[in-house]
Amino acid sequence: MAKKRTGVTRREFLQQAALASGAMALTGLAPTAVLAGQAGEQKIGSQLIGKLEGPSLILDPAKFPTKFSEAPMLAELVKAGKLPPVDKRIPEEPMVVKPVHSIGRYGGTWRRGFTGPGDSENGNRIVSTDKILFWDYTGTKVMPCIAKDYKVSDDGKVVTIFLRKGMKWSDGQPFTADDFVFWYEDIYLNKDIQPTPNPDFMVNGKPGRLTKRDEYTVMFEFPEANYLFVDILAGSTAMGGGQATQQHNGRTMGAYMPAHYLKQFHPKYVAKDELDKKAKAMGFDGWVSLIKNRWDWRLNPELPVVGPWKTVTPINTPTWTMERNPYYYGIDSEGNQLPYIDKITMALAENLEVLNLRAIAGGYDLQERHTALSKLPVFLENRGKGNYDVRLDPALNGSDATLQINNTYEADAEIAKWIHTREFRRALSLGIDRDQLNETFWLGVGTAGSVAPSESMPYSPGPEWRKKWSTYNPKQANEFLDKLGLAKKDGEGYRLRTDGKGRIRLELLTAAGSFIPHTQICEMIKQQWKKIGIDADVKEIERNLFFTRINNNEHQIAVWLNDGTEVLYLFPRHALPVDTVEALLGPQIARWYASGGTQGKEPKDPQLKKALELFRSAAGKKPQERYKIAQEIWKIMVDEQFSIGTVGQSPAAMGVRIVSKKLGNIPARQVNAQHARTPCSSHPATFYYKA
Amino acid sequence: MLAYLVRRLILAILTTWAVSVLAYVVIELPPGDYITSYIAQMSSSGSFVSAQEAEALRQQYGLDQPLYIQYLRWMGMVLQGNFGMALEYGRPVKEVIGDRLWLTMVVSVGAIIFTWFVALPIGIYSAVRQYSVGDYIATFVGFIGLAVPSFMLALILMYFGFTMFNANIGGLFSDEMAEAPWSLAKAWDLTMHLPLPALILGFAGTAQLIRIMRANLLDELGKPYVVTARARGLSEARLILKYPVRVALNPFASTIGYLLPYVVSGSIIVSLVLSLPTVGPLLLKALVAQDMFLAGTIVLLLGVMTVIGTFLSDLLLMWIDPRIRFEGKQ
Repeated sequence: MAKKRTGVTRREFLQQAALASGAMALTGLAPTAVLAGQAGEQKIGSQLIGKLEGPSLILDPAKFPTKFSEAPMLAELVKAGKLPPVDKRIPEEPMVVKPVHSIGRYGGTWRRGFTGPGDSENGNRIVSTDKILFWDYTGTKVMPCIAKDYKVSDDGKVVTIFLRKGMKWSDGQPFTADDFVFWYEDIYLNKDIQPTPNPDFMVNGKPGRLTKRDEYTVMFEFPEANYLFVDILAGSTAMGGGQATQQHNGRTMGAYMPAHYLKQFHPKYVAKDELDKKAKAMGFDGWVSLIKNRWDWRLNPELPVVGPWKTVTPINTPTWTMERNPYYYGIDSEGNQLPYIDKITMALAENLEVLNLRAIAGGYDLQERHTALSKLPVFLENRGKGNYDVRLDPALNGSDATLQINNTYEADAEIAKWIHTREFRRALSLGIDRDQLNETFWLGVGTAGSVAPSESMPYSPGPEWRKKWSTYNPKQANEFLDKLGLAKKDGEGYRLRTDGKGRIRLELLTAAGSFIPHTQICEMIKQQWKKIGIDADVKEIERNLFFTRINNNEHQIAVWLNDGTEVLYLFPRHALPVDTVEALLGPQIARWYASGGTQGKEPKDPQLKKALELFRSAAGKKPQERYKIAQEIWKIMVDEQFSIGTVGQSPAAMGVRIVSKKLGNIPARQVNAQHARTPCSSHPATFYYKA
Repeated sequence: MLAYLVRRLILAILTTWAVSVLAYVVIELPPGDYITSYIAQMSSSGSFVSAQEAEALRQQYGLDQPLYIQYLRWMGMVLQGNFGMALEYGRPVKEVIGDRLWLTMVVSVGAIIFTWFVALPIGIYSAVRQYSVGDYIATFVGFIGLAVPSFMLALILMYFGFTMFNANIGGLFSDEMAEAPWSLAKAWDLTMHLPLPALILGFAGTAQLIRIMRANLLDELGKPYVVTARARGLSEARLILKYPVRVALNPFASTIGYLLPYVVSGSIIVSLVLSLPTVGPLLLKALVAQDMFLAGTIVLLLGVMTVIGTFLSDLLLMWIDPRIRFEGKQ
């Protein structure tokens, strides 16, 4: 691939055509044909993984710049008297960002691709510095964001946040504690808008309160210790997720809202009949739908925001465009108001193949979303022509294709008995050749092993748990299975059921069109399991049906990513059966856990129950103790193999970054994680166009 | 004639109603709803929705109510000319479809014109000169056109366009024009982008039409009235076009019923591959997202278009074929 060549041979063309049509063709062949051609170049992508780096925040006010400057397009407006000068627009205590490489230049339009109004996260993540607290570029340390600082009371019952004096909304109105109070009293406590309280604003099922101490101080109070709440405010959660993410598509959380703007749509301030009439005239069914539409930053260009860019043409048009927020509260270390880039345009691609082809043609300046790892060879071949670089950002989660065992499965008693037996699960895990999977589907850039998160996370139980029961050892697997009384085999070498009803056939459920080729991966696992005499059916179904079946407790083993589990407490649903929305590990147990034991079923397995009890106890613990508990939980999950991990810590999901050579301040590697709102942890406001 | 029209009209309304019920039921048949799909979408894009939020959204959109109530609510709105809100878009369905409708028509009409202009003459030629070299070439090209799936053709042409001509990929406008307000330059831009999708969309249809035209005309060419006409010394061109071609056109007229829905929706797969901002991909996405109002409205629109199209083709058939006309009178 590194060779310089202008022509295309027939073979290459066929390979690329196969790649390009991969997702279109319903069978979705794995890109093994391409890999076979490169057997000599192993780990094609490893040289594309750089050093983890990123911008940092200057927190010492003594080191803050005192002179400020601004983008030329804003300076003109100031000159024309249409905008106050820059020092009146930024807060007295701005967020001071030291760019990763250098001070940038103003100007330019960032070209990206998106797939339609469902692709909100494409833009939400870029403006995520509208969060209350955030993480540093490593994704491990809590940093200030719109709150300049925070304090946790000694008993852990009160978390106080301090806002930035003089901070303003994008329309120039002051951003104060009143915007938090408005959200809490008029939105969160309004039963028409928020019928049920949100668990992120509760501790052990008991609701928290929000109060204003003064103009710039807000307190979150809980009846019990809730040390975890700081992480919740920093994480991608309902309370801390920020305005853009938590208030799009009818969502109601985010802890603050532009009160001065939204009051005109709220029945506490305007007669309800009048609002309903207005709503009907605009095509909405009532005032709730109207106000939800008005506070959606993707749909309403008039909405005041606090992020670096604001919507100009909404997401429901062919081009979603954003332009700079003249009141953005961030500056660089020399006093230049951020962002550097004037505008972002996202062009609609009706399907992922077109998006990837456009990326190959150099149509995007920076795109890490929807760019597929399987297309890496084609990306690399065209990087000179498209004038871009390719960077890979491995994620922090343990396994991109996780075999999640349904712990409440009961439709087939014999299968249920076996998948609920520890040695059986261990044997299944030992029967998987993860290196082969890694080479075939992750181009060798993933890490083979268990479900445990990356060792760089404080929750990691340690490197020895990556390998535990998670290496390829068919001999030991066969011993386990023989010992369980499954030694009888049929003519083809498959083990037989004990009730005389033929072979043991496990059903692996996968979702069609998922980002990782789960179906093809499972087909390979099925081949590998032949050696341990276990037969499997891989059943690919449509994504909605996938989740519906899981919620109906119909699956034996469902395969999905375990992304987000690297921050176990903020996003546990892919690691533990605690959340009824995606309860792959047992919907009945999730119902039992979420209802506090009044519904669903208690887990039969004492180890699983122990893991859940540990998890419940963590919210009231301080960080160090919390880390220890998480490590305990991971040890249980790996030792018991409730979830069988395969290959993870890979760039497969949102980690294939196509970067124009014209762009500056682009980290060689950025943290790729949900809680870090990638790419926002790299502060896109500091990206710029070199000359 | 009038009684016939009135009867057809009543039947048309009944059919449309049946289509609306069927559309709603069929779209609702798969498990889950818009919220399940939203949850799945958020999950695969690295974000999430909590159970509480999901419940609140379900209540807001009325998805917690029984199917027939949801249908009646929708029908009530449709009868008042309000097609509801497209859930994913946060905009009235009318606007969302309207935006794409006329572009769809431009592309589809382009494809149809291409098809007819190419297929009719070739079809006539290969019937009149049966088993000539020209006929074999036309037949060969025609069968290739039938055999190659149009999305494959689209992919290949797009790839060559990119590697050999550095053409921009997919869409109906170049990047700088996509956002621009309407002007002559933008119309020209559209004209320049139109041939490729029109060709790809029309190609498969062309092959089919050539074959139909050829077969129909061959049936007619040997009939006594053609021989009689020739014996009376009519010029060959006039003879062929005036009599057998007119008869052979019958199948065209009767398929116009299916052309109308095609004009408003376009080809879904090819539009997806070429990233055309037409109604087809919109329908597919609405179905995947289980956006009832949007999907239901498009299916209803297609149903109405089929009904109108069939009606029109009946009228057209009466006009070009005296046999049908006289049967009607007897």
